[in-house]
Amino acid sequence: MTAAAAGGQRPDGQEPAARQAARVRRLLLWYPRAWRDRYGEEFAELLAAELAEPGPSRRWTANIAVTGLRSRLAGAGLAGHPLDPAAAASASLATAATCVAVSVLAGATMWAQLAVGLQWTVPRDHGITLAMGLMSGALLLLALLTVLAAVPAAWAALAAAARGHGRPFLWPGAMIVCGVAVLVTGGHHVENGWPGTGGHLLAHQGVVPGGVAAFGWAATMWITTYWAHPAALAAFPVTQIGWMLLSPAVIGCVVTGTVRLMRRVRLSARAFRYETWLATVAWVALAAFLAGALSWLVSAGGGQEAGSLFRVGSIDRAGFAVLAGAMLCCAAAVRQARAAAAAVGPARPAAPPR
Amino acid sequence: MSTSDEPVTAGGAAADAAGALETLGRSSGPASLILSSLADGPKHGYALTKDIESFAGVRLAPGTLYEALSRLESHGMIQAVESNDRRRPYRLTATGAAALSTYLESQRTVAEVGLRRLAGSWAPT
Repeated sequence: MTAAAAGGQRPDGQEPAARQAARVRRLLLWYPRAWRDRYGEEFAELLAAELAEPGPSRRWTANIAVTGLRSRLAGAGLAGHPLDPAAAASASLATAATCVAVSVLAGATMWAQLAVGLQWTVPRDHGITLAMGLMSGALLLLALLTVLAAVPAAWAALAAAARGHGRPFLWPGAMIVCGVAVLVTGGHHVENGWPGTGGHLLAHQGVVPGGVAAFGWAATMWITTYWAHPAALAAFPVTQIGWMLLSPAVIGCVVTGTVRLMRRVRLSARAFRYETWLATVAWVALAAFLAGALSWLVSAGGGQEAGSLFRVGSIDRAGFAVLAGAMLCCAAAVRQARAAAAAVGPARPAAPPR
Repeated sequence: MSTSDEPVTAGGAAADAAGALETLGRSSGPASLILSSLADGPKHGYALTKDIESFAGVRLAPGTLYEALSRLESHGMIQAVESNDRRRPYRLTATGAAALSTYLESQRTVAEVGLRRLAGSWAPT
């Protein structure tokens, strides 16, 4: 039996047609769907022609993988983009929004633990108080930036809807509104059922009100190592377990809706620059939050706070790593958004009054 | 009709195209090769690879070729030709011709200065 019959390499270095076609299909998967829709067929022809020649090397395959991944990064607004600048800016802003959402989620888990802890006890290390101040300030700033960023995007979506082009925004809008409603209602319900933030009369009261601390805890209680300990988790009230399953889906719904809306909305050049400026400030807030989290990890990681409410666990270390990664990703997205927003051109003049 | 027969927009368009290839970043090198190859008529991906290999001695890997092609197309320097062939051919546009012309002129200036200076200082004795 020949090598070709066995499905192996032919003596001339060429591959059997079926195997070659399968390889081409696999290689195309490196590229995003939008790219494949536009260039896939002709690119497959080129690959097939080159594979018919002897000796495509690992370097040849690596080139396809690298350029395919770069195309995926470009599609996410994290690398130079062959699309039009407006689409590139939208993609970058959507990715920056995702990074901020992931960072806030990872950060809020740490922040909620400290916020609840500070209702009951005074930390021995001032680094923890400093951490709480930085993290609370950064979260407050991020909340404000979210509202400021939502205004032009919501306005553009509503304006498109008023012109009869609102269909693309229907589902993202519904996902955001319903998700936020369920998150606020559910979080409020769960926080009321937990007696952990009543505060001790003699204890130091933190800068964060008890209700806010409890809501933070309720919204992030699903980010826990209890999932690895089913027996301990089973001791939780059924409503809490239900909320722990529901809340990540709800948060995912809100983030997905936001990203889809950001990618679909067509902002003016001025609005692009405004959103990009907000994204830059958000990155600075994330850096401040990361500094606060680091202060806590360094202060409480030495063992002095072992067994206390401020103890650093593996989930917190993982959260810090996620936070740092998301911040780097956010920086790349903001850099691309700034470049793309600059290429969008001057702001379109307002239409003359009729 | 061969693309080389198209009138290249002179003056303003050429000035707009000045440095246009440099804006393509890492694709500017492959882009100049692709535009040079398309200067004598439309070609599909594989034909471009073979032609560039023949006149420049460089074999563009497929990922690099299509990265540059997509950038050139988005900048309006090349255009896909309507074809029933699955191997879609591309042709040079007036913008692409102007950009290539500007780029090659600057390269010629560099080459002429370098060769002149080499001849003056390093002429064989």
